[in-house]
Amino acid sequence: MEATSEPLLDAKSEVTNQLVDFQWKLGMAVSSDTCRSLKYPYVAVMLKVADHSGQVKTKCFEMTIPQFQNFYRQFKEIAAVIETV
Amino acid sequence: MAAGEFEGGKPLNGLLNALAQETFHGHPGITEELLRSQLYPEVLPEEFRPFLAKMRGILKSIASADMDFNQLEAYLTAQTKKQGGITSDQAAVISKFWKSHKTKIRESLMNQSRWNSGLRGLSWRVDGKSQSRHSAQIHMPVAIIELELGKYGQAGVQWHNLGSPQPPPPGFRQFSCLSLLSSWDYRRAPPCPGI
Repeated sequence: MEATSEPLLDAKSEVTNQLVDFQWKLGMAVSSDTCRSLKYPYVAVMLKVADHSGQVKTKCFEMTIPQFQNFYRQFKEIAAVIETV
Repeated sequence: MAAGEFEGGKPLNGLLNALAQETFHGHPGITEELLRSQLYPEVLPEEFRPFLAKMRGILKSIASADMDFNQLEAYLTAQTKKQGGITSDQAAVISKFWKSHKTKIRESLMNQSRWNSGLRGLSWRVDGKSQSRHSAQIHMPVAIIELELGKYGQAGVQWHNLGSPQPPPPGFRQFSCLSLLSSWDYRRAPPCPGI
């Protein structure tokens, strides 16, 4: 997973939502009905985003540790770039 | 059931591959009859069925316990010793198969147990200055992130676009968590630490 192409976004807030909240959880999957010995850590994220009307929606997703490391690296890059603007 | 009919490493390897595709990687589609006719044409269907079930059971047990190589050897040895079990040649084929496919099968099992959406892609852009029709505020600068989320087994993706204005509290530059819409006068202190 890496930044593939330029996001097709413009400044219209019908398209872009405001990030209102970011919560995370580091979990460890132990076992499941299909696999008794899962044993893998994961990062679960819950985002709250608000559209232009103010309506807040919740988005949840999970990442494996390598995926999270890439996610973190991207955001570090964004933070660095935004400082220079 | 003559064990000799099921000898030969190549057909068993093919069988294990097909079982893995069906059980772990989510690609069912190869019928029992097709497998039999392609890999074990001399074997009767009523003999093939229990053999297939036995192999499926062994593969599932190995994957479910995520056996390391010691556990695998012990397990397969036990299988060769029991009534109606496997031959030592078959054990060798299974052992080799697990060693080379273990990582991929584990990855599939991990994906199967993830019931939330996963992050399939991330793109971002930083704009120097942006303003929208709905807000008199000029946000600068803004980071716009596009997240591609999708659930396991679902073909489509959901795109979520997030923008985050750079909040201007003096000396405290954070990346997330402020919303400044003029139509909705909402301001809160960032609740979470910067990433």
